[in-house]
Amino acid sequence: MREPQVAIAGCGAICATGNGTETLLTALKNNTSCLCPNERFTRLRFQSNTVGTAPIDATGDDPAYKLASIALREAISRLCNRQSSIPPDRIGLILSTTKANIEALERLSDGRPCSAAASRHLQADMLAADLASEFGALGPVQNISNACVSGLVALMQGAKLIQRGAADAIFVVGADHLSGFVMGGFTALKAIDPQGCRPFDQDRRGLSPGEAGAAIVLVRRDLAPQSSITISGWGSSNDANHMTGPSRDGAGLAQAIHAAMSAARLQPEQIDYVNAHGTGTPYNDAMESTALRTIFGQTTPPISGIKGMIGHTLGAAGVIETIACVLAMQGKFLPGTTRLNNVAEGFPANLVKEPRTATRIDHILKLNTGFGGVNGALILSHE
Amino acid sequence: MNKFFITAHNCVTAADACGARLGTRFGRMDLSSQLALLAVESFAPHFESTPRDRVAIVLAARAGSLPTDVNFWEGRNAAGGLSPTIFTYTLPSAGIGEIAIRHRLTGPNLCFVGDSRDVLVEAKDFLRRNEADACVCVFVDVASPAFRKMIGCTEAAKATAALLQRNGPGLPANEFNLLSV
Repeated sequence: MREPQVAIAGCGAICATGNGTETLLTALKNNTSCLCPNERFTRLRFQSNTVGTAPIDATGDDPAYKLASIALREAISRLCNRQSSIPPDRIGLILSTTKANIEALERLSDGRPCSAAASRHLQADMLAADLASEFGALGPVQNISNACVSGLVALMQGAKLIQRGAADAIFVVGADHLSGFVMGGFTALKAIDPQGCRPFDQDRRGLSPGEAGAAIVLVRRDLAPQSSITISGWGSSNDANHMTGPSRDGAGLAQAIHAAMSAARLQPEQIDYVNAHGTGTPYNDAMESTALRTIFGQTTPPISGIKGMIGHTLGAAGVIETIACVLAMQGKFLPGTTRLNNVAEGFPANLVKEPRTATRIDHILKLNTGFGGVNGALILSHE
Repeated sequence: MNKFFITAHNCVTAADACGARLGTRFGRMDLSSQLALLAVESFAPHFESTPRDRVAIVLAARAGSLPTDVNFWEGRNAAGGLSPTIFTYTLPSAGIGEIAIRHRLTGPNLCFVGDSRDVLVEAKDFLRRNEADACVCVFVDVASPAFRKMIGCTEAAKATAALLQRNGPGLPANEFNLLSV
């Protein structure tokens, strides 16, 4: 028996562009970089304080929960009556995060006040359980922590749960917040670009951390007659090469892309746009370019990445960047690669610098890669 | 209905990790990754008969990476500052990366934080959907001394692992529980 299709019924986002998917859409259309200095992170301690800061109260003790709940509330508000009446026990929730509420660890370590709820949310499974409880998801609850591919893996998991009949709808929520912990870690690795990230640029020197909450409501296709965007294929893989650096040959990412296209029954020439991981680190962008050449040859589809706009939002990245793809598909435009000035030599010629109208955008390939060698590829299709 | 088999399983504790040496980098890993790697080591002969890109890895870490997070963050006041090496292991999925590197397993990955209940379910789904031909299943339960103190826990660290495959001989997967290893 053929498994049911899975559609995207609603999206919600809060990130450096502002609160709400409308702010993300505006920034995408204007190619606005929202990276800016954040006074919480002094340049004496960190490589840079140019980051993607979301508009939440920076003094709160539970930013991960706040980001996740704001985004999920918006996504649920977009549902139609039919979707809103899905029984709670047929709704699941999948949380995607790398560090959950790491703010609590910093507070507890420093002897600063920290509420019981904020402390609980140090554990991703507790954070997921509390979100499910607040938003009435009584079906399966999972939390995914596959490094920076978490968001895409969470979307894959959501689609699988619906396809095998475990739920009719899944709230996929990505959340990670800016913290001294993460800023300090990337500083220790010397992975931050002091001037702000410049994905695929010849002068790129590293990433820019960002924070976001992002939510996508997945539903069984027949419950979303008004929605025309489906998740049509996915693949994940591991480089089996290095813990923090990507393999130079891009074979792992190419394997994930190949699996996703096979599942979607698509040929390379049918992909209309690639939304890249594009961290702005020298090795990641080079590896991604190599993997794309492996799949597409010299004639790649248009490619861009949005981390120059909102920063690298870690566990939320796969979800919020997929939302950017949904907005692009709905608005029939190709997002630009914010902060890209001069394309590095040897990179795909079809890198999109500035947003532009698209005549056809039926299939989008979304990519993420992460520490531990993990790769993810997801395909969105428009009917 | 699909039938799958547990063709190998193993359980290791922190005591096993003390004297173990699996490669030159073993000593640099956090305890969670060491245990995950050790638990899977005896599966190596099974990987010879399966294409490495067809072996998936599903891991659940009860405490995520919190024990390592605590160790990492304690370094903020140290002379050398925060450790880039330890930061690498402040991800619950670090053990997956180490297993993949050691055994050159390039198939799909999945990592949960919390209990082990979803590990076998999702491993079976990888095989049922033909996304993999075998799946390494790992459950890691680690609490460092500093983390145990924080959460008031006294349990010893351990990891359990099982290899799920399409064909036996082995235990029927539906009669197997990772916690019973």
